[in-house]
Amino acid sequence: MQNAAQSMAQTPVQSPPRQPERSAPAPRGRIGRYIAAHKDGPTFFILPAIALLATFIVYPIISTLIMSVTDANGAFVGAANYVNIIESDRTARATVNTIYFVTASIILQLILGTAAGIVLNEQFRGQAIVRALTLIPWVIPGIVGAMTWAWMFHTDYGVINYILMSNGLVEDPVRWLTNPSIVLPALTAVNVWKMFPFVSIMVLAGLQSIPVSLYEAARVDGATFRDEVLHITLPQLRPILASITLLLIIAGVNSITIIYAMTKGGPADRSLITSIQIFVEAFQYFNFNQASALSVMFFIVSTVFIVAHIWLDGRRKGQ
Amino acid sequence: MKTGARSPWVYLPVLILLAITVVPFFWMIVSSFKSLAELYSMPITWLPKVTTWANYKKVLFDSNIPRYFWNSTVVSLGSTIIALIFATPAAYGFSRFEFKGRGVWQTLILMSHLLPSAALIVPLYIFLGYLNLLNTLVGLILVYLVLTLPLSIWMLTGYFKSIPVELEEAAIIDGASRWGVLFRIMLPLSLPGIVVIFLYSFVATWNEFIFALSFANDSTVKTLPIGLAEFSTEYDTDWGAIMAASVIMSLPIAAIFLGLQKVFVGGMMSGAMKG
Repeated sequence: MQNAAQSMAQTPVQSPPRQPERSAPAPRGRIGRYIAAHKDGPTFFILPAIALLATFIVYPIISTLIMSVTDANGAFVGAANYVNIIESDRTARATVNTIYFVTASIILQLILGTAAGIVLNEQFRGQAIVRALTLIPWVIPGIVGAMTWAWMFHTDYGVINYILMSNGLVEDPVRWLTNPSIVLPALTAVNVWKMFPFVSIMVLAGLQSIPVSLYEAARVDGATFRDEVLHITLPQLRPILASITLLLIIAGVNSITIIYAMTKGGPADRSLITSIQIFVEAFQYFNFNQASALSVMFFIVSTVFIVAHIWLDGRRKGQ
Repeated sequence: MKTGARSPWVYLPVLILLAITVVPFFWMIVSSFKSLAELYSMPITWLPKVTTWANYKKVLFDSNIPRYFWNSTVVSLGSTIIALIFATPAAYGFSRFEFKGRGVWQTLILMSHLLPSAALIVPLYIFLGYLNLLNTLVGLILVYLVLTLPLSIWMLTGYFKSIPVELEEAAIIDGASRWGVLFRIMLPLSLPGIVVIFLYSFVATWNEFIFALSFANDSTVKTLPIGLAEFSTEYDTDWGAIMAASVIMSLPIAAIFLGLQKVFVGGMMSGAMKG
């Protein structure tokens, strides 16, 4: 296969089949000749897509870089935008919130997702349909999940407060989305609910690649289900869990939909995370230059995690 | 023959799992069939005392939701189709040619696939403003290529690589050009894969929120995720209408997903999704 692919790769250069085309009328002009000579090479296949992506990713990033070191009139201001945005209280608040939100989400997503993955890997009736239903929170639009939870979290008429109060678990209705010290944990819970199905399916894929012989050997030695999980399943899952963790970080810093739809970052910025702060600085305070500086820093941090993920995933698949 | 459970105890965690994932949607559907009076009354009723279609009637005939449904469809289809047109040759190039820097380009495509959209809202806003494409469906279709194009190239490259090269070799020896091979041999063979990629891209753009919020806030071009907010004002929120609109918005996604659950789960397992 591999050899075939490589020999194929050589064909465009000097293979006999190209002979008939030579007899076609010679293309006119330099561009015409260039196209004729290269149209069966990789450039013309790949270039259009790359050009489109460059237009909508690379060019905007360069223009952000420029905006981040200029003021509203386009005059160069050095690092002033960076200094201002870093020193802003809102940035400190958003950074702390982001770290809390992402860390707490990931820990719970990994625990719940791994547990669910192990359950889904067991044999039981209706396994296929249960696997599909588990994915529902992840597949359904984020805004729909957000609105549904916002309604369930409603202080006066929400079903969650109703259950808690009718069981006497709380005296007064909990203000889930407006109490400054509860809002972020509540949003974290919604985010965990939305993303743990993704973890569970990835874990399921990892589980299915564990050699059955390991379990058979363990059972011969009289291992219990608990022994199997602790000494075979979890150690074997470690590489895929590491790579999922980085994916969850990348998704976590970008989880705008749930938070913005439920609280818009409030009350008093208590649920503001950095990705929403970029939006807020630009479109509520119309401070595009500081928002650009923030975007650049956000871009750099995300890129670090993306590169780490690609590196780790490549190493895992290479093994 | 499906084998039964190893131990009946497995059904307990299965039930807990289903409760966590499904109950909120059960509540969404139940709430969408309740009257406003019943929604705002205590004690809560688990099933509607009187089932009413009033919320759906309001959403379908007395709101902008049908218009936003149309906008969402146009934007998702447009962006998905354009991405596939550009991704097909690119994926063919990556899967069938050896050339200098191929690995680097592929890594860059994967990086752009994983890039958080928040990093791009400010620059894309400026860029669309420069092109006079803010608050237009065309502008939204173009920026959604940022989501759909890397995804399509990445998935399609993997799909093309799984098709044996031998099939093409015969055609090339017969004098077919590379483009001829791509259109006459590879495309028909990859149709199932292309359908799946099409649906993945469609779902990704249908659910997209922050680009739509930033670049399209005129009521003529709003998409469904943004339009949902129109039922809440500063003083009052029409939860019945929001739940009904949520159900309507979820229907296409639920249909795609349930029709293709095996493919979806398989696609995720192959590591194409970023979550």
